[in-house]
Amino acid sequence: MVRSAAELFSTRSYDGISMDDLVTHLGVHRNSLYKTFGSKRGLYQAALRWSLEHHVAPLVDRVAGAGDLAEALRVAVGEPAAEAGLNLLLMAAVERAPVDPEVADQLAPVLAAFDQAARAAAGRHAEHDGGGGGRGGGGEDGGEDGVALALTATILGLRLRARAGASGANIDQAGAALAHRLTHHV
Amino acid sequence: MARISIDGDSLVVEIEGLDKLWALKSRLVIPLVNVRGATADPGIVGDPKGLRAPGAHIPGVIAAGTFHRDGEKVFWDVHDPAKAVVIELADERYARLVVEVADPRATVALVERATTTR
Repeated sequence: MVRSAAELFSTRSYDGISMDDLVTHLGVHRNSLYKTFGSKRGLYQAALRWSLEHHVAPLVDRVAGAGDLAEALRVAVGEPAAEAGLNLLLMAAVERAPVDPEVADQLAPVLAAFDQAARAAAGRHAEHDGGGGGRGGGGEDGGEDGVALALTATILGLRLRARAGASGANIDQAGAALAHRLTHHV
Repeated sequence: MARISIDGDSLVVEIEGLDKLWALKSRLVIPLVNVRGATADPGIVGDPKGLRAPGAHIPGVIAAGTFHRDGEKVFWDVHDPAKAVVIELADERYARLVVEVADPRATVALVERATTTR
């Protein structure tokens, strides 16, 4: 039920989904929704928690385990399984986090883990590129954190572009081009 | 119509005007710890409400008073479905309150702020 709610919340805005929509989509009685979750917000938070744990966390692990930056970006924006999780994360960040501190609290550690994963992939990239690259980055610790943050932002931005209708090929190309640039400059 | 406010650690629901008569209640005070959440839910008015006792029920015109359904007691005070807000409770006489308020969005925000900043 929570999984099904997460899918619905990843496709439409929070305010655009009524309890009627949830009752119909989830196929449960309104009373039991209220009894189980307390409110629409309660259900939303359970759905977001589920999605962050079951969609986003495995994706973060795959990004962290990617062989290099290009693969990390491809994994993060190209996998169909990543779509629902990242869509809900994006919607939550735009729509709910600014008005609901508990949503912001849920997102913060996930975004931090994403940064860390991106940083790991970028570090591996620098090592591939020759020892000098890795050490050079290490000399500017703040710089590496900045790159990690920018990479997470890029991943979310590419997902946003994909959602806005950019083709998968374009998204892949953008990821590859960025990885190529970073290989030669980081 | 109901007016909802926060007074210290309590949620106060005041029933306004003639609805006091139909609902046989003028004021409910619920400790905030027993408030699980609030949801604007126009669609709930179309659901079966169960057995009314006591209160008034003229379908399409007014639902006011205490309704029993599936072993739960639900307090209703709604004329206009578009302005219905559902307040879910725990450890209270009523499982939930379904009340009409002037501004459902503001009421939901008020209850959420009061129950999450605790």
